[in-house]
Amino acid sequence: MTHLPYIVASYGLAAIMALVLSLGAALRLKRDRARLTALEQTHNRNAGTPLTP
Amino acid sequence: MTRKTRRLWLVIACVACLGTAAALILRAFSSDIVFFVTPSQVEASPPPTDRTVKLGGMVVAGSVKREKHGETPVATFAVTDGQAAVTVHYEGILPDLFREGQSVVAIGTVQPPHEFMASEVLAKHDETYMPKEVAEALKKSGKWDPRFGPPPSAASWNNMTVQDASKTLSAPAAPN
Amino acid sequence: MPINQTDGTDQLLSASPTFVARTGSFFHRYANPGRFLKLGARLQPWLTWPAIAFTLVGLGWGLFYSPADWQQGDSVRIMYVHVPAAMLASGGYAGLALCGLLSLVWRHPLADLAAVEIGPVGACITALCLATGSIWGKPMWGTWWVWDARLTSVLVLFFLYLGHIALIRAFDDPQRGYRAAAILALAGAVDLPIIKFSVQWWNTLHQPDSITITGAPTMSASMLWPLALSTIGFSLGFAAIVVARTRAAVMESRIRALLSSPRRGGGAA
Repeated sequence: MTHLPYIVASYGLAAIMALVLSLGAALRLKRDRARLTALEQTHNRNAGTPLTP
Repeated sequence: MTRKTRRLWLVIACVACLGTAAALILRAFSSDIVFFVTPSQVEASPPPTDRTVKLGGMVVAGSVKREKHGETPVATFAVTDGQAAVTVHYEGILPDLFREGQSVVAIGTVQPPHEFMASEVLAKHDETYMPKEVAEALKKSGKWDPRFGPPPSAASWNNMTVQDASKTLSAPAAPN
Repeated sequence: MPINQTDGTDQLLSASPTFVARTGSFFHRYANPGRFLKLGARLQPWLTWPAIAFTLVGLGWGLFYSPADWQQGDSVRIMYVHVPAAMLASGGYAGLALCGLLSLVWRHPLADLAAVEIGPVGACITALCLATGSIWGKPMWGTWWVWDARLTSVLVLFFLYLGHIALIRAFDDPQRGYRAAAILALAGAVDLPIIKFSVQWWNTLHQPDSITITGAPTMSASMLWPLALSTIGFSLGFAAIVVARTRAAVMESRIRALLSSPRRGGGAA
């Protein structure tokens, strides 16, 4: 391969970008889901008790 | 007309106006947007000798002369667009894709009447992508000489697999 | 259900059926953020796994099994990254413009959330297109960059993405940011045909397209296949990431709505 560094650089950039974007999205989704579940539980529990007058 | 329909028409009208404006601007500056001038344009109206221009065209087959002045390679070749030809002088290393029949863009100054002193030469490859073996087979069978023009359409050689091509290559040359 | 609304989207996130029934709009009925969460969760694996499979097969084929080009040699393999990235750069912006239209005309809350999420992903893929193009240009053309019509119009697209990212986050009131960014997205769509036809309208250093709608591809089938696979893979991957990010954004809006809801014990005033 005559231009190996150029090819490696292109594919490397693509791999890094794909990894950063997909991991970022997956972690964000995971964090938000956990947070939302926790919030909804407390919310529902509080909803059962009468509100303060 | 509901508010949504009105908003839709408003958006369409705005985009249409903007598109028209952009088209008119691009049309007006069309000559500045082109990346290079052709040899016949240079011949028709030669730019001032001190102005840097980009000259684009095909390297004429058999016109390339490579010399060495000390350590620096010096190349002389003719660039044509089919109607006119300009001789380009260039000191330095030519790009890998440089060859006879290749499109190139030379950046430099015009020295009337038909000389061009290039400070930089870029290779401009075409949109055809072809395996090495197929290209060799086409050349060997005499169907195409890359020095004289673009390759035949992909449909004519697409069914030629790499194996077919290798077979053609190992067989004796087809008579022309 | 009293909700302190922080932005307009939160109002819809209660997914109140009366609201949906009241507007009765096609778009609202089928793509309201609450429904999108359910639909997106079901859709996600069908995007993610095929994306990984197609991309790996396409790029692996391109890198190891496709033939070298007769004049470019092995450097032609950069194409299997560069071309899908270029297609998605334009495609992503078309998506952004569509979101802008849905937002401006139908005031669609999901379109706003999606626009926020498409922007950074599109900017990344445009940057990848520019970077791989530059890396390809150096050994083949003999230069990293030239100011020809194709390269310049794609650089303009990159800055349009950056402008959109900045604008949609620039206002204290998110609704104003959504409107402004939607207008920018629609106005910027003018650049898309310029990118597409730049190589035909003007002479450029960049070669014309090998694959056109009207003509046969000027490319060996042995190179077209891996290119098609990696293009499908990249597109599915783009969709998967945008869907995942938009789901997260919907959840975040819902979290904000819950936090500001007075029902939460000791919550917002």
